[in-house]
Amino acid sequence: MMTHSTKTIDPPESANATSSLDGIAVEHIGREAPDWLRERREHAWSVYGDTPLPTTRSEEWRYTDLSRLLDLEALRFVTSNETDPDAPLPQLLQDAMTEDRAASGHSVLVDGLTVQVDLEAHLAAQGVVLTSLRDAVESHPGLLQEHLAVGALPAEEGKFEALNAALWTDGVLLYVPAGVRLELPVRASRWLSHAGSAVCTRTLVIAEAGSQVSYVEELLSEDVSEQTLSSSAVEIIAKDGAQVQYVSIQRTGRGVFCQSAQRTLAHRDSTLDTLNVSLGGSVSRVDLNARLLGPGAHSDMLGVYFGDGDQHFDHNTSQDHVAANAGSDLLYKGALDGSSRAVFRGIIRVHPGAQGTDAYQTNRNLLLSEDARADSLPNLEIEADDVKCSHGASVSQLDSEALFYLLSRGMSRYQAERLVVVGFLGDVLSRLPLGGVVEKVTQAISRKLQAHG
Amino acid sequence: MPQNELVQNLDLDEYKYGFVDEEAHVFRTTPGLDEDVVRQISKHKEEPQWMLDLRLKAYKIYMKKPMPQWGGDLTQLEDTLDEIYFYVKPQEQMERSWDDVPDKIKTTFERLGIPEAEQKVLAGVGAQYESEMVYHSLKEEWASAGVIFDSIEDGLKNHPDLFREHFGTIIPAADNKFSALNAAVWSGGSFVYIPKGVHLKTPLQAYFRVNQERMGQFERTLIIVDEGAQAHYIEGCTAPVYSTDSFHSGVIEIVLKKNARFRYTTIQNWSNNMYNLVTQRAVVNEGATMEWLDGNLGSKLTMKYPSCYLVGEGAHGSIMSIAYAADGQHQDTGGKVVHAAPNTTSSIISKSVSKGNGRSTYRGLCKVHEGAINARSNVECDALLINDTSRTDTYPYIEIEEKRATVGHEATVSKVGDEQLFYLKSRGMSEEEAMALIVRGFIEPIAKELPLEYAVELNRLIELEMEGSVG
Repeated sequence: MMTHSTKTIDPPESANATSSLDGIAVEHIGREAPDWLRERREHAWSVYGDTPLPTTRSEEWRYTDLSRLLDLEALRFVTSNETDPDAPLPQLLQDAMTEDRAASGHSVLVDGLTVQVDLEAHLAAQGVVLTSLRDAVESHPGLLQEHLAVGALPAEEGKFEALNAALWTDGVLLYVPAGVRLELPVRASRWLSHAGSAVCTRTLVIAEAGSQVSYVEELLSEDVSEQTLSSSAVEIIAKDGAQVQYVSIQRTGRGVFCQSAQRTLAHRDSTLDTLNVSLGGSVSRVDLNARLLGPGAHSDMLGVYFGDGDQHFDHNTSQDHVAANAGSDLLYKGALDGSSRAVFRGIIRVHPGAQGTDAYQTNRNLLLSEDARADSLPNLEIEADDVKCSHGASVSQLDSEALFYLLSRGMSRYQAERLVVVGFLGDVLSRLPLGGVVEKVTQAISRKLQAHG
Repeated sequence: MPQNELVQNLDLDEYKYGFVDEEAHVFRTTPGLDEDVVRQISKHKEEPQWMLDLRLKAYKIYMKKPMPQWGGDLTQLEDTLDEIYFYVKPQEQMERSWDDVPDKIKTTFERLGIPEAEQKVLAGVGAQYESEMVYHSLKEEWASAGVIFDSIEDGLKNHPDLFREHFGTIIPAADNKFSALNAAVWSGGSFVYIPKGVHLKTPLQAYFRVNQERMGQFERTLIIVDEGAQAHYIEGCTAPVYSTDSFHSGVIEIVLKKNARFRYTTIQNWSNNMYNLVTQRAVVNEGATMEWLDGNLGSKLTMKYPSCYLVGEGAHGSIMSIAYAADGQHQDTGGKVVHAAPNTTSSIISKSVSKGNGRSTYRGLCKVHEGAINARSNVECDALLINDTSRTDTYPYIEIEEKRATVGHEATVSKVGDEQLFYLKSRGMSEEEAMALIVRGFIEPIAKELPLEYAVELNRLIELEMEGSVG
């Protein structure tokens, strides 16, 4: 079993191939790209320039003050030249990959560049595509032109979405043809090592009608000495009757600002479930928008977070019921220790005409220390009348009865508290019984609890 | 501005606009708001300098603060504010005897059933017409017990120290744009003091009427409930329907001292051309209990979030609200509870009904400050939708800084079930009767807290509102 290293990484000595986040970076990265892509990047960059950094005056950023938490000016843009694709992989990354042995395919990115991709041969033969985005520009231009940063997460969505659409260096394309079902998940690992840099990657998953796939990605790093930005844009499309599971496990080191914008498009009779596990980083912000676009579509949206030290987690979710007779069910649970802080803002929007909607939303927080803080804003906007909607939110301390029971069985207070926390959070994981994921997350939580000794 | 210049300016204005309207008022300011309007209001009330200074300072704050960008649609309000009368004086002085109230005003209130209610069930009655209280009375037994129930102007005149100690301390002018506006142009409202240990057995009631077209009403109420005292205060409001919009923006400040208990009930039934933006706040000290019972049925747009600041150990706050939004109405209401002391408890129960293209919004805050150990709060919101064009929103803010606190929020949205309707219709009810029965059942947990005559009134309103709502 690995332990979390306290080694920190310093910024690279040579800064030849780096620049700040500016137009030159966009030009540089677009140099060899086809016209459509260069134009898309340039457009995104102009949107980025026109979009002010969100402030706490905006409802969606009310409790996360970017002016205090992020210094975009200080970040350097790292080009692929800095990553040596043949360098040995860091131990932490290797350990994570070892846990991911059982998979339909793997993708490994180091500092925003793919260093390894593999896919079971029989799946490739059936037309499944798992490739780096850089390669996909050449090999699958049609898919990218149709979907990348236009359909689900266009630059206009916001400052970070625009930044990512302009400056993404690489990412993953996963395409599953109609009717093809993947028995084992596809695993992706992403590693950050350049302190003080901004790393933008994208994930595009397209599941054609009647297909089935699980995609599990993990984001890792050591602690970093300078603020480092990880920007992710995740676009997932489940066509009619497809079944898709997306899992993101965020275990970066302190000093990392993890920003992830995710949008899922669920078409008729599809199932599109997501799980966000946020454990690492100094600041972690997830914007997840689930769009229910066809009748019979359903999305389970699960989240687990566990903070300590001065970590700041912000989960901003929305459930857009555009079509009638679709369902969504959200459960986000978090435990907060030290002086960590969690923000949950969720909204269910039932659009006019979306009759027969079943939509639920629950956020539960456990405060483990005097200085921890939780803010919860579970919102509803309902514009159809034949709906079943509810939401709930709570903030509480450890269940004293459960604690008392465990203490009376001879456990130490420390052991008992750990057990209650693991049980509280594990409740979420039990709703997405995905091979290897539950174990991995439970272990990561236990390790974090141990660190408090 | 020097005093003599001020007086000259005023004289000029009075000369131009100070005519006596045969209809209902003896004086009104010119439409719209400027510093002179603020000065005229203060002058008409013969206020001390400190109050004029406070008004002028508040006016500057109001001018500086931007319109809220959240809540209801206020885009038309700025035009409305340019056109309304900020101060309309209905008669020369407030009356203590019903017989002395001018006939026209008296008829209005008689039609609203006020004098009758006073005789039967109330400890005291205040009636506001346009910008001033026209009538105020308190039963002798309570007056002799030291209870003060007066117009806010008389509160300032007759109890200057008590007034100044509390006025604007619970809701400062700078709290929000409309509390600033109210502090600048306030007129009318009640001043209430319940002495130590006095338990008022029947409610005090204030009735607010806007009659003038394009009217702005800015009542200001200050209530002090001393240690161990108990009372219930009811306010009701109505206005005729005009084609232009009117504006009502009240500020209600309440202080509950140790172990006091107070209930504030509002039955808001403004006409559908009224903007109703109200700030209501109670500071609840050790062991005291504050209850807001808030019924919002009328107005074009209401933005109102009664709040309890639980500052003393063991204080309790409760907010119960019903909102009813029919065609063209937006009820943006809710409540705020702030726990700032140990062992404080609170509960918010909100029920809303949206009909036609009506929209009801619950907006609330539950905040637990660090150190408010063992604070407990529970929030429940239920929304009922009648038509497929109706809308409901829920925006609760939950901010918890204390580990040893327990806070929960639950909300549900539902429609009137076809099965329920079918069952009632099979028992011989018309669809409208059945719908009204279901809606009454839905709001019953809160309606039953109302004084009987209000509960009856509420049921009658819902029956009226349900006519033509289905099919």
